[in-house]
This record gives sequence, structure tokens and C-alpha cells, in this order.
Amino acid sequence: MRLILNIFSSIFPNLEEKNGNRETERVIDASIRLPVLGMIKASIAWLAFALILGICSSMQLHDPTFGAGSSILTYGKVNPAFWNALVYGWAFNAAWAVGAWILVRLSGVALTNGFALIVSSTAWNIGLTIGIFGIFIGHQNPYKFLEMPSYVMPFILVSFVATGVWGLMTFKARLHRSSYASQWYLIVALFAFAWLFMGAQAMLFYTGVQGSFQYLVGSWYADGLINLAIAPVAFATLYYLIPKTLGTHVLGYRYSGSAFWFWILFASASGVSLMVNGPIPAWVASAGVIASFGLMAPGLTLGMQFFSSCFSQFERVWETVSMRFVFMGLIGFAYYLWHVCFGSLRISADTVQFTTYESGVQFVGLVGFAGMIFTGATYFILPRLLNKNIPQNGMVELQYWLQILGTITVAVGMIYGGESTGELMNQSTASVATIQKGATPYHVAVTFGFVMLLIAAVAYAINFAWLLASDRSEEEESAELIGQSPDLEYKTS
Amino acid sequence: MNRGPFIFIGAFILIASTWALLVQLPVMQGGNLEAYEVDGVLQPDALPGLAQKGREVYQELGCVQCHTQQVRLTSGSDLARNWGSRQSVARDYIGEEVAFLGSVRIGPDLSNVGYRRPDPDWHLRHFYNPRMVLEGTRNYSFSNMPSFSFLYDKREIVGEPSDKALKLEGEYAVEEGYEVVPSLKAEALVAYMLSLKVDYDLPEAPDPVKIDPAR
Repeated sequence: MRLILNIFSSIFPNLEEKNGNRETERVIDASIRLPVLGMIKASIAWLAFALILGICSSMQLHDPTFGAGSSILTYGKVNPAFWNALVYGWAFNAAWAVGAWILVRLSGVALTNGFALIVSSTAWNIGLTIGIFGIFIGHQNPYKFLEMPSYVMPFILVSFVATGVWGLMTFKARLHRSSYASQWYLIVALFAFAWLFMGAQAMLFYTGVQGSFQYLVGSWYADGLINLAIAPVAFATLYYLIPKTLGTHVLGYRYSGSAFWFWILFASASGVSLMVNGPIPAWVASAGVIASFGLMAPGLTLGMQFFSSCFSQFERVWETVSMRFVFMGLIGFAYYLWHVCFGSLRISADTVQFTTYESGVQFVGLVGFAGMIFTGATYFILPRLLNKNIPQNGMVELQYWLQILGTITVAVGMIYGGESTGELMNQSTASVATIQKGATPYHVAVTFGFVMLLIAAVAYAINFAWLLASDRSEEEESAELIGQSPDLEYKTS
Repeated sequence: MNRGPFIFIGAFILIASTWALLVQLPVMQGGNLEAYEVDGVLQPDALPGLAQKGREVYQELGCVQCHTQQVRLTSGSDLARNWGSRQSVARDYIGEEVAFLGSVRIGPDLSNVGYRRPDPDWHLRHFYNPRMVLEGTRNYSFSNMPSFSFLYDKREIVGEPSDKALKLEGEYAVEEGYEVVPSLKAEALVAYMLSLKVDYDLPEAPDPVKIDPAR
């Protein structure tokens, strides 16, 4: 009973107020509390589920007796189920929990159509559940991140378009006519996903693109999904959190516009580089390689803005739980960018093509870069939504270090494992059996990495449940718990 | 940048134009190929019925997660590995409603597995348990291919044993009076494997070196 009362008190806090501290922010937060909490809960649950699937799939690569003879657990089903749960379950739920909150906060007015967001995110998660189930019963497609059967795609599209319409309405209703970089990236992420998804679906499943060109569409979609639909939400989060936490503008903010446009230009073209040496016109893949390398320019601008801002007050960054995650996400971004730019060059592709390298880079982009930033943002948002302190139970530290170690271990296993395997696979005639045996330590590393990340996800879930269900302390009864953050975003553009 | 429509329309132009240039244009230019007639036969030829069913099993089991079906000429060592004799080109895939080019090689490329492994019995035993077939062979040290034993029926022998029963020996043998028989799905998958061979030349991809099945 007490537990239920505590949860009720967390979701509908009745705070003691003395001087109207942060009244506008508290009204805005109250208006979006339920949808954001729902999406955070879904993201954590999907993360844990995805990692269990990841462990099952990775284990089979070094221990083929695991799940042997099981139609459900066979690698060809578990592996796409893992990636889809990670991308659409974890990354999208986390991205839009954070993105929706930032969009509403920046609009400066309380959310009036929060119910639409709840219905939309519920429909998304139901569609995803059916899609993962569809993979397990053998209805999968062979294109990366589009493996879910096409019968769930309209379901997912409608729910995302609803989120998009909600996002545009929220943006349009903004109090301040000026717009901030976070808003640009969030609006683009919403539009880009709808475009990518509708384009890929229409071309692959309705107009029937011929043979090898299906993979051209698939490559364009898979890369765009990370660089145009998820990474922009991470950039939006960085532009929002850094000034709020450090109390200063993002350094070099005036370059944000050019970085924004160049990122969109190159990110929308970089995906086709994955088709290098494949049965499509060579100029297409070459254009993709140029675009991938071109991401260096906006990437460096963004990196310098965020890194220099963080280093200007590094002590504060390290003292703040949310910023500690965000900073690691920034390092993840630098590492991701390096591999996106240089890994796409033909000299690299000659070695790493068709290995686990590409999956490793995508994993770093999703978990090491965007995922870290979304986790940090969640630790910034939850205390504000619930008016509670982050629990001092050691779980945050456990999650932080295991999330870092786990991501590094998986990255080493997939990226360096891919390079090592690629040298043998693509530049020698060593037997496949020899190559597989040599890759075993890397596959073991990936499994260990997933286990560490799963423990981190459990710690994350405990923290979330703790925040919701714990007793409210005297300090947490007061509206003074959270200090006022500066509204610098309205004075920078 | 203060205006919402400017951001939205600008992003739309960039994303839509790159899609039009790098995805739609190549599809329009090269995505309407037709089969090429070689000695009165159209190539690539349509798959026989059982092999077509095997394609569906291949898709259902996610084999594309580990195997590609594309041979590269200018990069990698595909030719030296005997995985093909020429570059795969777009025309090779025109009959495939769902293509299986793949993007990861945990196992070997399968473009020409029908050439390299022409024995259906080898495939039937291999799908049942890859290690049972590969252990003791030249260059074998490890295989992480999963067992697809769920595509087989283990049943009691009533009367005469089935002609299709797998020959299982040693640690892989089943109890006395029982046999393991491939299901229709297993047979279809094998038929599909045997159909995978690029045994024709195309003007855009002449075949310089024929595959040696003995290798």
C-alpha cells in the first residue's frame, strides 16, 4: 500500500512552496511527466531485453552448442531481434523521452496534448513487440534494421508520424519566436525518420526494387537511422544540457548553423558507402564514401563546441551525475566519428568489409555515443519530473562504470575483432574455420561486454524504480529541491 | 535561424535531394535490367520449385545474418577462395524478389556453394550438425554454425528404414530402432543451396576463370 502511495506521490507530487521557485518549469514538467516516465520505463525494459538477446546471439558465435537445435534461439533470429530491440526499443524510446521533454521545455508552455504522446508511444511499443515476435516466428526481412515483418511497419509509422505531428505542434506553440539548436535537431530527427522509413518501406515492400538495389535502399536506411534520426536527438540533448548544467553558453555556438546543415547533408548521403565493391554502380558508393568522410567537418565543429564547453568547467562536469554520462557520450561520439569517417575509405573497407566491424561502429554510435547521452539526460530529467534526488545507493556509480566498460569491451570485440578477422578473410586465403577460431576471443569479449551492460541496465532499472517508489524525504517535499537553471538558449541566436 | 519553416524546408530539400540522387536515380537507371539470353536460355534462370521453397526457409532462418551472396573482384580474396569466378553484378539478382546479398561473413559466401558442394547428402548432414561433417576434414579447426536439427524428424523405425534417413555414427548416432529424417524444409533448403551457382557469363561480367569444384 505504502509503495503504491509513494509511486502516486512521485507521479503527482504535492510540494511545499515558499517563493514560487521554478513555477513555469514545474508546470511544464507536470504536463509531460506521464509520457516521459512511460518512455523511460519502456527504454530501460527494452535495453535489458535487448542485452539478454545480445548475450544469446553472441554466445552462439563462440559456443555453437548454446541453443543448438532450437528454432527460436537460432542465431539468424536472435541476432536481428537483438538489434531491433536495441534500436527501436532502447534507442528510440530513450531518445524521444529526452527529446520530447526538451522540446516542451524549450517551447516554454505546458503540454496540452500529452495524451497523444502516450497513445503514440504505446502503439510504438506494441508494434515493436509484434515485430520482434514476427522475427522469432520466421517472418523476417534480410535488410539491417528492417528485419521486422512488413505487417508491423504501418503500425510503427503511424505512431511515429503522430509523434512527429505532436512535435511540430509543440514547436509551433513555442513562447519564444527565436529557435535554438536543440529544436532544429529535434525537428529534423522527426522528419528524417518519417522520410527514411516511408522511403525504405515503399521501395522495398511496395514498389519492389530490383535485386541488388534493395541493399542500396537498406544501406541508406540503416545508416540514416543512426545519423539522421538518433544522433540529432543526442546533439539536441548536448546543446540543451551543457548550458543548463554549466551555466554558460555552448562555446562557439555561432557555428552551430553551419554544422547543422552540413551534418544533415552528409549524413543523408553517407549510408550508401556500405555498398562499396558491391553490385551497384560504383559512383554511388564513391559518393557515399565522400559523404562519410565529409561528416568530419560538422562532426569536428560539434565536437569542439561540446568538448571545449565541458573542459571549460570540467570539475563541474565530473561532479554532476548527468554530465558525467554526457561527457562519456561525447568521447563515444569522437570514437564513432573517427570510424565513420575513416572506416568508410576504400583502403579500410578492403580489410573490414563483411566483418563485425560495421556492427561494432553502429553499436558505439547507438550505445557509446547516443545511449550514454540519453542516460545522462534521464538522470537530469528524473529529479525534475519527480522532485527527488538521485539515490545515493552506489547503483549510479555501478551503472556508470559498467556501461563504460561494457561498451568498450563490445567495441573491442566487434571493431578490433572485425579488423583482425578482416585481415585474414579479405587479405589472405586462410580457411574459414581458422578465421572463426581466431575470432573466438573477440566473440567472448562481446559476450562479456553484453553481460556488463546487462548488469548496468539492471542497476539503471533499480534506480528508476527507487526514484519512483522511495519515500519522499523532507527536502524532497519542498519545491526548492531543484535550483533554477539559466535560460541561456533564448539569448544565443 | 529563427523560422521553423526555413529549418523544415531546408532539411527536406537536403534529405530528399540526396535520396533522389543516390538512391532513386541509380534504381531508375540500373534497376530495370532484364535477363540475358545465352545459348537460347535466359540467364539468370528461374529457380525450380523446391529451391524456391528453400529460399523462403533461408529467409525465415536468417541465414543472411552470417552469409553473403556477392563476389568481389577488385577487393578481398573471394576469387582466391574459390567463392566465385567473376564480380557479382546487378543482373545476377534480377529474379530475386528478396535478395540475400548480406553484409556479414561469419561463414563463407554462398554465391556458388552449389558448385563447391554439389552433394545433397553433404548438405543434409551439415545442416543437421555442421561439426559432424567438418570434423576431421582438411583445414578444420572450428565451426560456429548452428545446428538446424529442428528441421529434421527423429522417429521410430516402423518396418523398413527410410531411404532419406541420415547416416549417423559414433557420438551422433541415435538410439537403436530410431532414425533421423529431413523435413520438407530441410530438403528445400538443400535444393536452394544446390541451385546457388553463377554458371553463366554476362557481357558486363565475363567469366575469366571457371570454378574448380575439386577445390
